[in-house]
Amino acid sequence: MSNATLLISLTILPFAGSLVAAFLPANARNIEAWLSGLIALSALILTTACYWSVTAGGVMRYEAQWLPTLGLNFILRMDGFAWLFAMLVTGIGLLVVLYARYYMSPQDPVPRFFSFFLAFMGAMLGVVLAGNLIQLVFFWELTGLFSFLLIGYWHHRAGARDGARMALTVTATGGLCLLAGMLILGHVVGSYDLDEVLAAGELIRSHALYLPALILILLGALTKSAQFPFHFWLPQAMVAPTPVSAYLHSATLVKAGVFLLARLWPALAGTDAWLWIVGMSGLVTFVLGAYLAIFQQDLKGLLAYSTISHLGLITLLLGLNTPLAAVAGIFHIINHATFKASLFMGAGIIDHETGTRDIRRLSGLYRFMPITATLAMVAAAAMAGVPLLNGFLSKEMFFAETIAAHDGSLVDQTLPLVATLAGMFSVAYSLRFIHETFFGPPAVALPRVPHEPPRWMRFPVELLVVACLVVGIIPELTVGPVLETAAYAVLGPALPQYNLAVWHGFTLPLLMSVAALLGGALIYRLLREHLLGGVEGPPLWRHLKSQHIFERVLVTVSWRWAGALKNLLGTRHLQVQLRLLVGTALIAALWSLYGRELAVDHTASPALDPAFALLWTVGATCAVGAACLAKYHRLAALILVGGAGLVTSITFVWLSAPDLALTQLLVEIVTTVLILLGLRWLPKRIEGIDSGARLRIRARRLGDLALALVAGSGLSLLAYAVMSRPAPSSISRFFLEHAYTEGGGTNVVNVILVDFRGFDTLGEITVLGIVALAVYALLRRFRPASDSIDIPEQQRLQNARDAAPPLRPPGTTLTDYLAIPAVIMQLMFPFIGVLAMFLLIRGHNLPGGGFIAGITMTVGLLLLYIAGGIRWVEARLHVRPVRWIAMGLLLAAGTGVGAWLFSYPFLTSYAAHAELPVIGRAPLASALLFDLGVFVLVVGAMALILLALAHQSIRSHRTPSAKATVTPPSAGET
Amino acid sequence: MTPVTGLPPWAALLTSVLVLLGAGLALTGSLGLLRFNSFYERVHAPTLATTLGAGCVLIASMVFFSALQTRPVVHEILIAIFLTLTTPVALMLLVRAALFRDRIEGQAYDEVKARALSADKRALLPHHRAIRPAPIDLPGGHHPGDGHEHDPR
Repeated sequence: MSNATLLISLTILPFAGSLVAAFLPANARNIEAWLSGLIALSALILTTACYWSVTAGGVMRYEAQWLPTLGLNFILRMDGFAWLFAMLVTGIGLLVVLYARYYMSPQDPVPRFFSFFLAFMGAMLGVVLAGNLIQLVFFWELTGLFSFLLIGYWHHRAGARDGARMALTVTATGGLCLLAGMLILGHVVGSYDLDEVLAAGELIRSHALYLPALILILLGALTKSAQFPFHFWLPQAMVAPTPVSAYLHSATLVKAGVFLLARLWPALAGTDAWLWIVGMSGLVTFVLGAYLAIFQQDLKGLLAYSTISHLGLITLLLGLNTPLAAVAGIFHIINHATFKASLFMGAGIIDHETGTRDIRRLSGLYRFMPITATLAMVAAAAMAGVPLLNGFLSKEMFFAETIAAHDGSLVDQTLPLVATLAGMFSVAYSLRFIHETFFGPPAVALPRVPHEPPRWMRFPVELLVVACLVVGIIPELTVGPVLETAAYAVLGPALPQYNLAVWHGFTLPLLMSVAALLGGALIYRLLREHLLGGVEGPPLWRHLKSQHIFERVLVTVSWRWAGALKNLLGTRHLQVQLRLLVGTALIAALWSLYGRELAVDHTASPALDPAFALLWTVGATCAVGAACLAKYHRLAALILVGGAGLVTSITFVWLSAPDLALTQLLVEIVTTVLILLGLRWLPKRIEGIDSGARLRIRARRLGDLALALVAGSGLSLLAYAVMSRPAPSSISRFFLEHAYTEGGGTNVVNVILVDFRGFDTLGEITVLGIVALAVYALLRRFRPASDSIDIPEQQRLQNARDAAPPLRPPGTTLTDYLAIPAVIMQLMFPFIGVLAMFLLIRGHNLPGGGFIAGITMTVGLLLLYIAGGIRWVEARLHVRPVRWIAMGLLLAAGTGVGAWLFSYPFLTSYAAHAELPVIGRAPLASALLFDLGVFVLVVGAMALILLALAHQSIRSHRTPSAKATVTPPSAGET
Repeated sequence: MTPVTGLPPWAALLTSVLVLLGAGLALTGSLGLLRFNSFYERVHAPTLATTLGAGCVLIASMVFFSALQTRPVVHEILIAIFLTLTTPVALMLLVRAALFRDRIEGQAYDEVKARALSADKRALLPHHRAIRPAPIDLPGGHHPGDGHEHDPR
């Protein structure tokens, strides 16, 4: 396989697997596990196959054009370091899949789990293999998203939701900072290509924008790796299923932060800013995490803080600015992944077999599960840094690095002491983990009787522990070449000499290791009394919880400040909003006119036809009348608006725009019905009630009138100015000339809509569909004003008549009165349907088209509803507007995609004519199919809006109770 | 509007006469709408425009386009059919709504009259009408003043 094929299949494989896994049945536990296992295994084999291409500084690259105009290409890139991470991601992924098969209960919806799991694996590989900064950030955020879904897997638990939300908030905020940092970095280098960025280290470090870029990128990396002061999300994320913790929170997700630090090490490291920010953050996290881990009462909580601490150690090593420290950091990435994943799985086994993770309740488990206990002891010893295990090697390299002098400051002087202290802490918590779980008297009153787990559930732990041992005993033969490959990829020719041997003689680092082991045991012995007290959290520190501070901040920002801003700037009055809107538009128009003159060409206007003038007088009278009556006589105002609309429609006919006239006419009809339906819900206004209005109100109304007059006349003036000047040479001529030859239609308007500008139309109908759904969604929670809830007067009168003797079923009056009109209206429905079809089919050549036909059809539906009522119609006709919308969109988009089959660009249309019996010669452009989609969607959207509004009248509305209006809406309202 | 050429004089004359006749009828109907006193009288006036008036204009249209295209153009018959079918719907809806309201209010009127026995009180009614309709026997209906109380406001 070529490099390109390898890299592409490695990236795509997990995502494809995720899609397949999502569609498997809910109880297909074994198939899911087999599928995920095979995907992970194939990815592992593919990664292994890459090894020979990346040794000795080799780089595999695949580049594809993405946005060439912006200089962005899709680049997959694998060097030794990326290879190491890909191995971790796929290898530990495979083991975790095997483990999860036995861990997940048959009641859990496993398709969701494995689907998210594989997608996360793909996102992680995407981060590791990204050869482009923007692409890296994209996959970075994708890992955050999938980790959110995985942490919140058991979303019926409040803790899972909170933990997932906190993790997402912290890491996604960091991710946004990272994006900003990457943009600056790309700007500095002049390219987003990772190779070019890595080669431009000198340029970056001397640039004025170095510090902002560095801080932003570090915010991204440190939040992801849970470094102080962003460490608090990781313990909260322990609510995730244990396989997730073992995978995300030991080997992959949290390692993405240190991956980024190491990845950009050649470009960013080597400055004091790097040393202080990265180094200090790492140091504080290292010590603090280890200290806090001692006092955890939850097995996974202990492991989470220990993970934080070890990530701090890696961060510190990368922050020390020496190549040897960087090598030690990379080495520790490998070691930590192996022993921490196995420990998490061990904790999961304990949880699975005993039913609890509380250290206070666990005791003496060695008796029940000796093999698991032995495995956990070896892994914990590796974590503590016991000789002959892999943790010891990297920790000793770390101790050696702390001794090597750097800048001689106070921090540098005390570094070895602080490091030894933190080493003692980690020995103490490792001891506690083992001693309190596996030794002591047998535990009583456990939820389940503990026993050894199934054979294959333990297998991943065994494998990882063997790896710890083998690496710890013969490092040079096992991990040596891999480490060299990875370190060479980061450091290049500057790779220092180092020795991976277990025994270096009696050196200072060895002394420090021994001191840490003895001191750790001593600390555990001294703290034992306190720990047995069973109090959660360390002394003094207990009350200062970072997650509480985080929640306070979140509440302040997203609730208090947002509420204050809403009170300050928001309004529930339509008048105020309209005033702002119109005022802003007016100011914007005046602004652009300021200092220029508005040229109005009076000579170009043709002589005014008296009939046309009369027509417009009627229209204008209607409009002004509507405005005058709008407040108290809404029905009359509505009729007058209809009159104005008719005049507009006739104007279009007069000016030879039949398509527009037809559309306008139909839209007027539908709009009138829409407003009629809405009128019923408007609050009642009684004329004369505020005749003695105060001066302030009068002034406000006068101001509004002035604003309306100025804005309206300004708009008219602008329109006149535009229309009276000679038309610029635009593409309209092209449309006129090519409508028939290229689009196969003589109706240029329709050809533009469905052919030349088909993509625009597709966007517009999508918007229409979204608008309809939004209206529907808003109306579902519609709460009318309290005085509009009662049924209208007319209906009450009718019901009273029905209820009076002679008793008749309710609604009889209405049915009686409507008897004959209803028959005629129902009779019209098929005719209107035929008309709609006629307009649709002839649309390509004569006035008509999908949009017009759609509204016509809606008018027919409306008539049915008016004639028979909602219940009558819906008992006979299944109107499913949402399906119509979906079908319309699919049809329109499908027609566009169909062009691909004939290797033409999206939405290329094909025109032909066919001789049909009876009908005769009919145009058969593929655009007709597209137009059919438009038609179907328009019918669906209009019907959805109108029906949603109409259904309000048969819904029962509750009067808002006094209590409901007083209490503020809760944030968790669902 | 573009001037028409190639129309034979007889057709032009006929079209003009018919169009003017139709428009005149429509105008008369509109005047009636303005001048008549009661709703039930007014409701008849526009029918002049929708029947005879529209008919004249449609025939004019047929003559005009047939002469212009030198072939019989009869699309207007469809318009006439649908116009004949649909205009009564609007009329019936209007009249029946008015009837219903008048019956309800007539009742209220009777009650008021019974209580006050004064002709001046007629001005108090919210929807005063000059002519009260004769009670109409509707299916399942009842006569005003037969003791049926409408929903109190």
